[in-house]
Amino acid sequence: MNRDTQRRVDAIRARSTEAENHLIDAYSGGGVSRREFVRRGTVLGMSLTSLGFLASACGSGDTSGGNGGGTATTAEQTAKVQPGGTFKAGINIPAGAVDPVTVADDGGLAMLGQTGEYLTWSDSKLTLQPRLAESWEPNQDNTAWTFKVRQGVKFHNGKDLTADDVVATFDRLADPDNASAALSAFRGVLSKGNIRAVDPQTVEFQLDAPNGNFPYLVSSDNYNTIVLPQNYDGDWEKTFIGTGPFKLERFNQGQGATFVKNPDYWDAQRKPNPDRTEIRFYEKEQARVLALQSGEVDAIAQFSVSGGKALLTDPNVQTIALKASTHRQVHMRTDREPFTDKRVRQAMALLVDRRALVDGLFEGRAQLGNDSPFSPVYKYTDTTVPQRQQDVERARALLADAGMADGFEVTIDTYDAFEMPSLAQLIQNDVKPAGIRVKLNIGTSSTYYGDAVFGKSRWLDSVMGITDYGHRGVVNVFLGAPLVSDGTWNAAHFRNKRYDRLVRQFTAQSDIDQQKATARRIQELLLDETPMMIPYFYDFLTGVRKGFGGVETTAMAHIQLTGAGQTV
Amino acid sequence: MARRVALGLVTLLILSVIVFLIAQVLPGDVGRRILGPFADQRAVDALNEQLGTNRSLVAQYWDWITGFLTGDLGDSLAFRRPVSEVLGPALVRSAKLAVLAFFIVVPLGILGGVVAARGEGRMRDRLVSVGGLSATAVPEFVWAVTLILIFSLTLGLLPSTAQFPDGSGPLTQIEYLLLPALCLVFVLFGYIARMARAGTIEALDADYTRTAVLKGLPDRVVLRKHVLRNALLPTIAVVATQTGYLFGGLVAIEVIFNYQGIGQAMFRAVSQKDFPMLQSTVLVIGLIYLVATLVADILYSVLNPRVRLGSAE
Repeated sequence: MNRDTQRRVDAIRARSTEAENHLIDAYSGGGVSRREFVRRGTVLGMSLTSLGFLASACGSGDTSGGNGGGTATTAEQTAKVQPGGTFKAGINIPAGAVDPVTVADDGGLAMLGQTGEYLTWSDSKLTLQPRLAESWEPNQDNTAWTFKVRQGVKFHNGKDLTADDVVATFDRLADPDNASAALSAFRGVLSKGNIRAVDPQTVEFQLDAPNGNFPYLVSSDNYNTIVLPQNYDGDWEKTFIGTGPFKLERFNQGQGATFVKNPDYWDAQRKPNPDRTEIRFYEKEQARVLALQSGEVDAIAQFSVSGGKALLTDPNVQTIALKASTHRQVHMRTDREPFTDKRVRQAMALLVDRRALVDGLFEGRAQLGNDSPFSPVYKYTDTTVPQRQQDVERARALLADAGMADGFEVTIDTYDAFEMPSLAQLIQNDVKPAGIRVKLNIGTSSTYYGDAVFGKSRWLDSVMGITDYGHRGVVNVFLGAPLVSDGTWNAAHFRNKRYDRLVRQFTAQSDIDQQKATARRIQELLLDETPMMIPYFYDFLTGVRKGFGGVETTAMAHIQLTGAGQTV
Repeated sequence: MARRVALGLVTLLILSVIVFLIAQVLPGDVGRRILGPFADQRAVDALNEQLGTNRSLVAQYWDWITGFLTGDLGDSLAFRRPVSEVLGPALVRSAKLAVLAFFIVVPLGILGGVVAARGEGRMRDRLVSVGGLSATAVPEFVWAVTLILIFSLTLGLLPSTAQFPDGSGPLTQIEYLLLPALCLVFVLFGYIARMARAGTIEALDADYTRTAVLKGLPDRVVLRKHVLRNALLPTIAVVATQTGYLFGGLVAIEVIFNYQGIGQAMFRAVSQKDFPMLQSTVLVIGLIYLVATLVADILYSVLNPRVRLGSAE
């Protein structure tokens, strides 16, 4: 590194926080890959330009991929596209009113992202891109985060974006008297009234507890948080008010919507390419898949391996696969026979053939899970923790030790969506050799979830069950409610003080090495206690017709058509 | 006639109470259904408060029925907008599909039945009877996927969804609705053709037909003036009873062809415990059914002087 570069590096380091410096050290020492470095740096609030400079200046020559992360783009996705035109995309039908406060499904959230924008954008590689926030920074112990609001942004009705709009947006979402779908994400993190406008360009969030990953909670990952004008008073479907590259042309409930280019869009680097976009709703995946095959739409946001087999081999369709943290939790109640003894739980996990599940259910388009929510897609996941493999002998030995050599009977509860019934059947098969007789109780989403409170929900009351968890950009949500001692989603009734402590620790940390060390401890604890099996994390698949490109999707099911069009 | 109508309305009222009570038995509460199992309980409570679903059953039913009788169908709980805004267009869409299917299958069915009856026992009879029955036995969604595979994906002649773009002319709309209508034609043809066939055979055997033929009337005149009218009678009854299916029972086809008709609206209302939506939809379908049977009765009496004139036979 020449002297001038060195001086610049030193200057950056001088004004960086301790956590940021530690990250730079880790990168220079080769402990962190370039991609990881950039991603981690953006969470801490470092600017992309500094990161870019540091990445090349301090790089030790190791540019390997590190812990996986989003792959995705085929050649066509980065290819040039023709300007203008109308781009048609198909998505799952929104389950109810498209209201930023109450949306809780993938169709609804995709609509929010068409015209609305977030403070930060969590992209396909789980890196945070600045959007309505120019930069952000934590205080010393991650109990407060300060965001700089971008200047020169206008809402579609001409009003300028200020810090007051941001404050109003988050106060609305953290208010327990609003039917806010984001309330569960903010529980224990952010309360109403703790967001204030320091000045017209700066917003400060005072957190309920230290949180090193907070910027993800105000990103596209927390999909309700599109920034709305301060005087917003409801009925979003009338105007789709936002600051995004497209504005609403027409909304046809139940059918779809059309959008037109926003000529006053603030981002000169990401000017909207199509003149118009059409989003069409499809109630069933089959209809969506057929529409893509017949060319009725140019892209569909998501399809599954089982529902879209034809697409995987169709020469007219390109498949974009994003590594994701989407998974299934197969919980075993730690406070009920036969699962009170952890050896029995371990045995169950050892009987299951994970590789076969991945190949059979997803044709290999999934990553093995190691019975903890730490998906390989997260940078802080410790991948040196040994992967649990099928081991029938060992399982039998454990069962014998626990006094269950003759096996036992158990019922698996789940519901008829995605691949879950098939998963239940495969587990049923896998455990037979140990004398375990599984009965399947496959209901509907309403009978399985019930009222979603203890005592009134098969999900939370069953001895063994399978629940689906959609992708999240950070692991915090998965570590919390499903597994902490008083967690509202704790189907396994898992109560482990050490686990709770480790999670609190992890949440507060933002230093990559510390997070990895804590992650390792959590992973090992969960592998030992095995309150649940998490056999896989499967890929998010998007379909785009040949001859089209520039479609950006995230594993959350956002679909961005800003750069979309026919390829040149 | 007036008595018929009055009885029909009482039936509808009872229907509304039954549907309301059944919907209460469905698991899950409304706020939870809308926000999902992972939403915070406080948010769910707040939504239930907003929607008024934490009031007593009687209060909710009363509010709704008084509104309905004055033309206000209430607000959909899931979509947070007036039911009429969602139901109106859905009804129009279902009607278009039903009418198109109707205009294809009824003449075709009657024609098939008459042709089969006239050639009773011969090849064309077997073709119509057995062919029609086989087609009916195949579920409509199997027809749907088959037709899409052939006409949409392989031949590329027709669209794979039934939802025509805004502002399409009648011909374009027919182009989009043709495949789903054909599914219904396949499913209903056999039934209508066999009824028409049975009615025609009976009429052909009757004394008055023999008289007409012996009088020297040409075949075609005999057919038109004497046979057809009698053959139509059982067919009308059949068609009337199929109206309920044509309007409310097409969920499978609506789903595959991605067509937002009444069937889908009702299905979604059930899964979300959207009472106002569910109640209004069921009552509207009940109303259509009522009107269809009344119309059938009128047609019946027009075609059958015995009924009209009330004389014994």
